[in-house]
Amino acid sequence: MATDRSRRRGVTIAAGISALLVVLYVTGGVVSGLRGTANLVVAPFSWAIDAVAKPIGHMFAGAVNYSDVVSQNQKLRYQLGQAQLRANEGWALARQLEQMTTELNVPFVGALATVSAQVTNLSPTNFAATVDISKGRDNGVLVGMPVVANGGLIGSVIATTPHGATVRLITDVNSSIGVTYASSKTTLVINGQGVNSGLAATAVPLTTSLNPGTVLFTDGLSGGLYPPGIPVATVDRVTLTPGAATFDLTLKPTADLAHVMYLDVVLWEPST
Amino acid sequence: MRRALVPITLMTMSIVGLQLSVFSSLRLSGVVIMVVWLWPLVVGLAGLTTLSIWTAVVAGFFFDTHSTTPFGLTAVVGVLLAYVASRLGKEGVGDLDSAAWWVTPAIAALGGLVAPVLYVISGFVALDFSLWRSSLAQMMVVNALAFAVLSRPFARLARSLGGVRTRARR
Repeated sequence: MATDRSRRRGVTIAAGISALLVVLYVTGGVVSGLRGTANLVVAPFSWAIDAVAKPIGHMFAGAVNYSDVVSQNQKLRYQLGQAQLRANEGWALARQLEQMTTELNVPFVGALATVSAQVTNLSPTNFAATVDISKGRDNGVLVGMPVVANGGLIGSVIATTPHGATVRLITDVNSSIGVTYASSKTTLVINGQGVNSGLAATAVPLTTSLNPGTVLFTDGLSGGLYPPGIPVATVDRVTLTPGAATFDLTLKPTADLAHVMYLDVVLWEPST
Repeated sequence: MRRALVPITLMTMSIVGLQLSVFSSLRLSGVVIMVVWLWPLVVGLAGLTTLSIWTAVVAGFFFDTHSTTPFGLTAVVGVLLAYVASRLGKEGVGDLDSAAWWVTPAIAALGGLVAPVLYVISGFVALDFSLWRSSLAQMMVVNALAFAVLSRPFARLARSLGGVRTRARR
């Protein structure tokens, strides 16, 4: 009898605490302080487990993937050579473009300052596509700043601490980006589809001429969240529904989001 | 129960550390294995109702401080799993000594299968309607398989920390 009562009390208290936490989250505010404190409490445990688990994990991963690492290294050397060649070729073009955009008074990412940072943690859950990075407010990183890496946009900063920040990746379900392509004046909104599902755009008018392989760039519209001209995604599949006035697009991020280790935060704030 | 509270709490914190340092990086088919849900479930299967709920709240709270998803949802799902598992545990279902060897993995697999769904449903309650858009089926299958594989060693650990073996002998 007494056990039943104490169990019921336990369940009620736990349910109450959980409900309270959800309410705190919804109402915001207090949670950021709670998070900071809780992070401090968990940190020693994470550090101890990291110290033991990481070397063992690296040892096994290194042994199992040795041939893979060698072939990747060769591929990277080849790509580096290609990139250097392209950089040399592109230098003149970049200067020309910079000059033109200055004259047109359009912000250009190449001319914007960036802060390089290292990815310190991947999202710990299946329900959010985020990464933690090693630079924060002390380095000029602010909420809303775009983040680029591996040849394209990878997301934007959603939270900062003095020495770190959290970046929401473009594949996150809460991510929406205004894009355009080539010399077109058409703008589209593409949405993240979740951690493993890439990007998509729905209800694209049939008058829009998009083919697989077309590269989409940030549109940089006034009041937008990103500066113009950052490559975001390439069209992977066009889905036409017979009789419909629109079509859907399945898109592949331009940047390789699965292997982001270093990235650049563009020191550009969205206009309000 | 009071004697087991400290070791179970310390182990729960270690499980959160293990989740954040190892399991959140070690993705299978892109899916994170949520040991922070498996742990309260196996503590519940050991018949430790209050302790299992406590572990669910502690693990969920500390895990959610590292995530950008609605705060407290991991704890809510953990509490639900822990409570149902503890009801089964009280009936002796999933007992490592007396039940068939496959019962604990089967219950854990079922827990792994429903946990992501419970999370999405809890998300609706917290007014977050975007969670269902993640690859739910993939998460369910991977977590079910992982829970089945990990359940017996985790259950042994829970029973030893909770002093269940000693009680059974008496």
